[in-house]
Amino acid sequence: MFILVILFIPFALSIISLFTPLEKVADGGLKLLLRQSVKDGGSLTGFIKKERLFGIINAFGYAIVLGISLLLTARILTPPYVIRQFGIFYIDALSAFFMLITAIIAFSASIYSIGYISNEIEEAKISFHNTKVYYCLFNLFCFSMLLAPMLNNLALVWIVIEMTTLISAFLVGFHNVKESIEAAWKYVIICSVGITFALLGIIFFYYTASKDAHVTSLHWLKMYEAARFFNPHTVKIALIFIFVGYGTKAGLAPMHSWLPDAHSQALSPVSGLLSGVLLKISLYAILRFVILAIPSLGYAFSAQLFILFGLCSLFVSAGFILVQKDLKRLLAYSSIEHIGLVSIAFGLGPVAGIYAGLLHIFNHAVTKAFMFFCAGDTVKAYRTNNMNLMQGMFKIAPFTAGALLLGVFALTGSPPFSIFISKILIILAAFGGKRYAIAAVMLLLLAVVFAGLLQHITKIVFGNKPQNMIKIKEPLSTKAAVLFLAIFIVWFGMKVPVWFSGLLSACGKIISG
Amino acid sequence: MLTIIFLSGFLLSLFLMVVAKRITALVKTFALQSLFLSLYALYVAVLQRHAELLIISGLIFILKVIIIPRVILRIKRRINVEEDLGLTLNTQVSLIVALFLMYFSYLFISRIISFSSGEAMQAVAFTVSFTAVFIGLFLMIFRQKALSQVVGLLVMENGTFLAALAITGGMPFLVEIAIFFDVFIFVLIIEILVYRINRLFTHIDTTKLTTLKG
Repeated sequence: MFILVILFIPFALSIISLFTPLEKVADGGLKLLLRQSVKDGGSLTGFIKKERLFGIINAFGYAIVLGISLLLTARILTPPYVIRQFGIFYIDALSAFFMLITAIIAFSASIYSIGYISNEIEEAKISFHNTKVYYCLFNLFCFSMLLAPMLNNLALVWIVIEMTTLISAFLVGFHNVKESIEAAWKYVIICSVGITFALLGIIFFYYTASKDAHVTSLHWLKMYEAARFFNPHTVKIALIFIFVGYGTKAGLAPMHSWLPDAHSQALSPVSGLLSGVLLKISLYAILRFVILAIPSLGYAFSAQLFILFGLCSLFVSAGFILVQKDLKRLLAYSSIEHIGLVSIAFGLGPVAGIYAGLLHIFNHAVTKAFMFFCAGDTVKAYRTNNMNLMQGMFKIAPFTAGALLLGVFALTGSPPFSIFISKILIILAAFGGKRYAIAAVMLLLLAVVFAGLLQHITKIVFGNKPQNMIKIKEPLSTKAAVLFLAIFIVWFGMKVPVWFSGLLSACGKIISG
Repeated sequence: MLTIIFLSGFLLSLFLMVVAKRITALVKTFALQSLFLSLYALYVAVLQRHAELLIISGLIFILKVIIIPRVILRIKRRINVEEDLGLTLNTQVSLIVALFLMYFSYLFISRIISFSSGEAMQAVAFTVSFTAVFIGLFLMIFRQKALSQVVGLLVMENGTFLAALAITGGMPFLVEIAIFFDVFIFVLIIEILVYRINRLFTHIDTTKLTTLKG
């Protein structure tokens, strides 16, 4: 029941958004707006623009989604610990965890969209008609990301993840200018190649399942029960394909090249979703296959792959962060860095590493969405992505500037923010597992990233504002979205709540068997 | 025996793609390749008395032999794409690379299945499918026109499909249908994007999509 409601809301909203008569406002222009206001008794409420009204309805929908996913998480934490429904849904702690992240980020992005989209319309960057398209795609995107972790069939998960790429391609290329179309093209092509590799991996998992374990279905539970009969050689090759395939979508280097383009060109609410959720959903898919591989192959091989790709991502991102000029690309590379960290954490193995990695997934999702929302407003204020042209943000938009500054400290893992805790846990896991070399490399690269990010952001925030700029007022929706995410950043920085810790431990148990 | 014919036809079409210099040739070879894939699926369906595979075979024929090549050629006509594929590696070198890719796939597969046992046919099919995946990737990297990248990806998709067919009994029916749906949507979206690229850039040469760097 709950599952259906969660899925129904985004889907219904996407349909509604296509059929809301927003266009009439555009055609009739001011006249219609005025008539509307007269009908409303001449009050000011009539001047609430329709796209804003729809944004509010949208955000309200996601508030319900968030509430229900919290309820669902609560149910997962009590026996029987799984929910199975209609023969296609299977939710355990791992699914619930990813679903919860999606719900939180989607809610904040839907709030942020309200102000962002009306601003885009005011600046005539997008038309009223496109608002409808935007909300339709936004909702379908969220729908597919909520759906992916709930499915019990690994092939269906594959299909839904591919659908997320195809849907979000239009959100990346939304502005229909050269750069964004280029980014969308690279995004679709590279991710589709990746996902084809992942399919090959799935086919080989299926091959060994049908040949060695006589399971002729990709049903998760059936596969899992038969997993110990799998042929380790086949599983090894299949895992490599899974890692390369889904790793492309997760933004692991060296398959990351689509990521900075797509993140920097997408509309800012969508950048938050891409970085906060989309990458993590691919990690979810990888985790599912790693779990399947454990009974026959053990964890060591997966751990090696995790560490290899993780270190690669850290190296690549550290280099590019130092020399970056574009604010949103800077954040995109920081996403690669964090995905690398999560990957290394998983590579450090059960129990400490996996716990830390999962916690880091959550913290990064929240913090990065926070940063993308602030960056979105910064970019709007300066009308450029180029950080060399940004200065004196404090004198233009104090709230965003403050948030940006706090955000960069949170993102680089300074206390008392949430990423600090998960980073410390990852480093402790490395020391605890006596992987000193990895810990050393990690610390060194993290220091580089810290210096790079801090230098870039402080340059934006402080200093004198450019002459021609006047002080601007941030929309209320931005403040609301940013404050909502800030709650999690500070709350999880002080103490990880007991129920959440329980959820993570349950996930850890599922992964390490 | 028929299996050998279909598989070698599939393999041959891969090498023809590697030496193709014009987009029309590439697309037509792709249609030929899909025809072999469809016939192979039909053969397996009859052999294993698998009714669902009949539908798959029919779908491959309709979608990959008829619709997709037509869509791509229509795009080509409408926006006056140059015929030249813009080879960054000449055909001789490409052919040698393709041979190496095939050998590489053979090595890969021989780790999983032995070629001497009763499963030899399956092993050959897997090898061909891996070759297709790698050659598809090769085409995407070394033929840098938007349309040839699309064809490269579709070749990779054909390769994975062949692997799925080579598994006794095929993949679950629902999965294969869904993958078809997915390919279909992919082609639609690519079509829209190609038109947009063409409108904004007035060319569809992906070597020139270089605004975003670093």
